[in-house]
Amino acid sequence: MSAQPGRAAGAQLNEQPGLPPSPAIPASVTGILAVLALVGGAAFVATAYSGSPRAWQAFLVNLLFWLGIAQGGVVISSAYYLTQGRWAGTMAFRMAEAFSLFIPVGLVLFFILYFGRTAVFPWVSHPVPDKAQWLNTPFLFARDGIALLWMTALSMIFVNVSRGEKARAWTQHSSNIHMPPKAIKRLAVVLAISYAFVYSLIAFDLVMSLSPQWHSTLFGWFFFAGAFWSAVVMISLVTVLLGRRFGPQSAFSRPGLLHDLGKFTFAFSVFWVYLLFSQYIVIWYGDIPVETFFVVLRVNTWPWWPLSWLVLVLVWLLPFTVLMGVKPKKTPAILGTIAALGLAGMWLERYVLVVPSLSPRELPLGLAELLITLGFLGVFGLCSLPGIKYAIAAAASAGPKEAR
Amino acid sequence: MSGDIELVGSFADEHECIHGVEALRGSKIQPARVFTPFPSEHLTEALGYGRSPVRKIVLAGGITGVLTGIALTVGTSWEWNLIVGGKPVVSIPPFIIICFELMILFGGISGLLGFIFNAGLPEVGEIEGYNERFGSDRFGVVVRCPESDSGRVEALLKEAGAENVYRESA
Repeated sequence: MSAQPGRAAGAQLNEQPGLPPSPAIPASVTGILAVLALVGGAAFVATAYSGSPRAWQAFLVNLLFWLGIAQGGVVISSAYYLTQGRWAGTMAFRMAEAFSLFIPVGLVLFFILYFGRTAVFPWVSHPVPDKAQWLNTPFLFARDGIALLWMTALSMIFVNVSRGEKARAWTQHSSNIHMPPKAIKRLAVVLAISYAFVYSLIAFDLVMSLSPQWHSTLFGWFFFAGAFWSAVVMISLVTVLLGRRFGPQSAFSRPGLLHDLGKFTFAFSVFWVYLLFSQYIVIWYGDIPVETFFVVLRVNTWPWWPLSWLVLVLVWLLPFTVLMGVKPKKTPAILGTIAALGLAGMWLERYVLVVPSLSPRELPLGLAELLITLGFLGVFGLCSLPGIKYAIAAAASAGPKEAR
Repeated sequence: MSGDIELVGSFADEHECIHGVEALRGSKIQPARVFTPFPSEHLTEALGYGRSPVRKIVLAGGITGVLTGIALTVGTSWEWNLIVGGKPVVSIPPFIIICFELMILFGGISGLLGFIFNAGLPEVGEIEGYNERFGSDRFGVVVRCPESDSGRVEALLKEAGAENVYRESA
């Protein structure tokens, strides 16, 4: 197609009958997101100023959650290139990359975490002698900063190349057997492997180190598999919402696309629970106190065990049982609901991983956490709007016969 | 049946084959058999076959597997009432693994057997209407019809794009 997706989405959509009027995304959405961001920021500053550690705990939980979604999305796109998944249609790539602009923001937010390090990392005020060479402030921020900087640069370049002429042309014509263009192919490989390394490192440093005595070898994979899945369900939710906005004839409502997203959601929720159980069974069987305390606190102790079981239900049980059949996957209302619940579940998962280490007996879950989370939602939404608009423009210019 | 003949239409293209099948079904003629060199979802839909019953067999197999796993693990633990490593006699987490694996095993085997049975395999003897090329690069639509209808069927198939429509000895 010769139409450039970069042009105003509204003009193209207006030309097609039966579609809602432009702009593709109303200004009220931008306004609401901006308000949420400001309110959240104010709540964060107020809570942090009051000296409560809850501000930085909520900050860390949200940073891990939202950055995971943004980064996971780009990795999903690289997974499509690596498996030559053109059958999924151009929209699969565009939607996966829609959230990528939050990645640099996440990088900045990570460095801001430095100012809350005493509230978040117990080993700052109480260094652990055996682990002090690894768990000390300069080394941690240096290595994680460099790692996240690498991922940010890589992701931005990847999305840029993926939206370039060659890669876009490759995704749109699925009737040949060409490999993806060299540039994107190589970037996809480097991105995927880097993701595994960097996000394992992030998991170890930003989550596991909060209980410095505990370790689990599979934890890095468990963490980034959860981030990957949270990106899948975010893509599913946004696709369903855009399908509602643009009607059943749009590329967002294509049953094949929803079926693919449903399968993705189903499969990777099983992968997540598999990694969860792999860690659990080993720790359960060994029954070694230095390993079990982390799990017992979250699974057997009040006030955490209801949240942990809720996470299991929202992230695995519901998607697994509801999305097993073909029809539920293709029904936007069902897929969208499961996706929304899954996102809530993944946020809770990050919460249950991080907060019990820092506040074992109390449950810091209240207005501050809600407002800070909404603030992050606002920032994430604002960062995702350009990508979503790009996807809408791509949907409008996608021809009927080509891979949509 | 006497008076019935067998016509075989060979197509070089999947979509033309689907058009042929749809044209036949539009005239209330169900092809006796369609040979394809590769699986085609659209063709299965066009033939009106619907969803395969094998999934129910796999589900039944999977459920049987879970129940067998529970019976095996819980039953043997109760029978040999030993406390090992401070764990409860009936300890769920390791039992989950066995129940899961037996679910996969029974589900897989029942799927295989269900498929073989549902597909009518093994098919011994000569396969009517089959031509070597249908396993290579051609689609074959086999229609059984009375002699009087043969002209109509041939016309439908040729119109859809059949390369060749020939008579097979019934």
